[in-house]
Amino acid sequence: MQWFDALVQGILLGGMYAQYALGMALMFGVMRIVNISHGDLVILLSLVGISMASAWGWGPLPVLIALVPLAVLMGWVLQKTVLNKVVGSDPLPSLIATFGLSVALQNLMLQIWSANSRSLPGGGIESQSIEIGGIYIGLLPVIVLIVATALTWGLDIMLKRTRFGRALRAASADVEAAAMTGINPRAIYALATAVAVGILGFAAVFQALRSTVAPADGPAQLIYAFEAVIIGGMGSVWGAFIGSMVLGISQGIGFRIDPGFGVLAGHIVFLIVLATRPQGLFGRA
Amino acid sequence: MTMTAIPYADTEAPDVLVERQSRSGRVAMTLAVLGLIGLAVMPWWASTGTIRSVLELCCYIAVAQMWNLLAGYAGLVSVGQQAFMGAAGYALFVLAQTYGINPFVAIFLSLLVPAVLAVPIYFLLHRLDGPYFSIGTWVVAEVFRLTASNMPIVNSGAGMSLRVMKDFSSFERNVAMSLLCAFMLLVTLGGSYWLLRSRFGLALIAMRDNPIAAASQGVNVAKLRFLIYVAAAVGCGLAGSIYFMAQLRITPGSAFDPMWANVAIFIVMIGGIGSIEGVLIGSLIYFIADRWFGEYGATYFVVLGLMTLLVALYARTGIWGLVSKRWDAPWFPIRRKLVHRKL
Repeated sequence: MQWFDALVQGILLGGMYAQYALGMALMFGVMRIVNISHGDLVILLSLVGISMASAWGWGPLPVLIALVPLAVLMGWVLQKTVLNKVVGSDPLPSLIATFGLSVALQNLMLQIWSANSRSLPGGGIESQSIEIGGIYIGLLPVIVLIVATALTWGLDIMLKRTRFGRALRAASADVEAAAMTGINPRAIYALATAVAVGILGFAAVFQALRSTVAPADGPAQLIYAFEAVIIGGMGSVWGAFIGSMVLGISQGIGFRIDPGFGVLAGHIVFLIVLATRPQGLFGRA
Repeated sequence: MTMTAIPYADTEAPDVLVERQSRSGRVAMTLAVLGLIGLAVMPWWASTGTIRSVLELCCYIAVAQMWNLLAGYAGLVSVGQQAFMGAAGYALFVLAQTYGINPFVAIFLSLLVPAVLAVPIYFLLHRLDGPYFSIGTWVVAEVFRLTASNMPIVNSGAGMSLRVMKDFSSFERNVAMSLLCAFMLLVTLGGSYWLLRSRFGLALIAMRDNPIAAASQGVNVAKLRFLIYVAAAVGCGLAGSIYFMAQLRITPGSAFDPMWANVAIFIVMIGGIGSIEGVLIGSLIYFIADRWFGEYGATYFVVLGLMTLLVALYARTGIWGLVSKRWDAPWFPIRRKLVHRKL
């Protein structure tokens, strides 16, 4: 029962990681770049959300409604001003640029919000739980998991069914061929990053609700997102979702074995997947 | 390769010489040798405080040059070289403090640890594509940090102190630190320069410019990348051992500090990637900026981060790239230049 509980908690934790991983999978799938400041953007949005809540007395829902459009805008601006200049076959410029951005963002947040940990008051929602078969499950993690599933499903449908999704897939398969058919890759890229960072708007609210955030927390979130994407298999949206679940379960069981072992257990499972199935659980070899 | 079958007609061999050194190179080489000697005899002209500052600068140069070899030539952008610095540092502390081996012998023994660890890590990580390789190296550094935090032999999260150093007088320690500084620069900078001027250097430069074209010319890109990765691990290990010997204390947080990745990337990108001169310029700038502006803390790092971003966007060759476009006077010439024989 104790292990079943760890499993359930792990799946719920996976819901949180999925919200980080979706954006990363999307950006890598389309542009072959990794945004090192991915985790720092989550933390920045969280802190902005917390400040909104305390300044205007907003609950979590108004903060979410305000934060997601802001995140979309941030993603679009990021792509227009920085990433469009470094997209290309050489991975170095995009890595260095976003690495510099990450260092700058972390320290800027440190100046504005100080090193203290903060969290978003949820009006009681963060402490409510529901009992299913003798296991108490927090209401908030269930909501996180439902939202993560909905986001994954929505992103998958968008990629498969919409005009924008087709353009995205075309640009990711072959940029030049896509450009010849009248697609403007830079515009597509800007929208893709806007969607990817927009999803981080959801992640930011839930992260601030379920635990505390501090300016230096970003790199850990980046690493979890990265591990989830690699475990699941690159470039697949549902792969990133399943990878998040595997990572969450590994950490959940690890934490149950020893509190000092939880994060390490996730890293070890990631390394095992890398050693035995480098294309990821759902990737095509 | 036997390619003698191609019949060259009666063309005469051109009357040229291959020039591999230049006047600026000879001047720089003389200065470099004098500088190394100056480093080695520091105890006779510098205070302990100065020696410690210079040691820090030498560690920056060494780590930055290793990162330069990886990212600038081998196309392996690592943000986790601190894994090897910390591993070697810890090896030194365990050998010297726990097993009582002379610390100055232990420094060299500790280099075996990064060398041995780098092999399986490379085989695990080289499967990751470009940017994912980078974050993979970071995960490895995190695994090392968390493992050290849970390992009783290295005193878990509390860290270790190098108390055996009190058996040596302050002067003896200064002599050792100075000699180690000179040795570290000789191995990392001198070794890189020698490597780049050798046959391997030609292959490395070809690989830097275009790995696929280099492979088509017979360069074994995979093997060369592996060798560079192991060499850089050992170089970073040496810097780590020397740095933590001077610090006298090591904890998982300091040993596997991602700050080293920031420093290496900043130095190489600002100074100029793919050149030894760039590493020297970048290290000096970072060292001086750190002394002058370090007190501004977070603001200083915001500026550092933004400068790295701007260099990546607008001036990818860094300061040395701009300088060498204007003046052709390399300090460490690695080119082969054909000149007409004077008649």
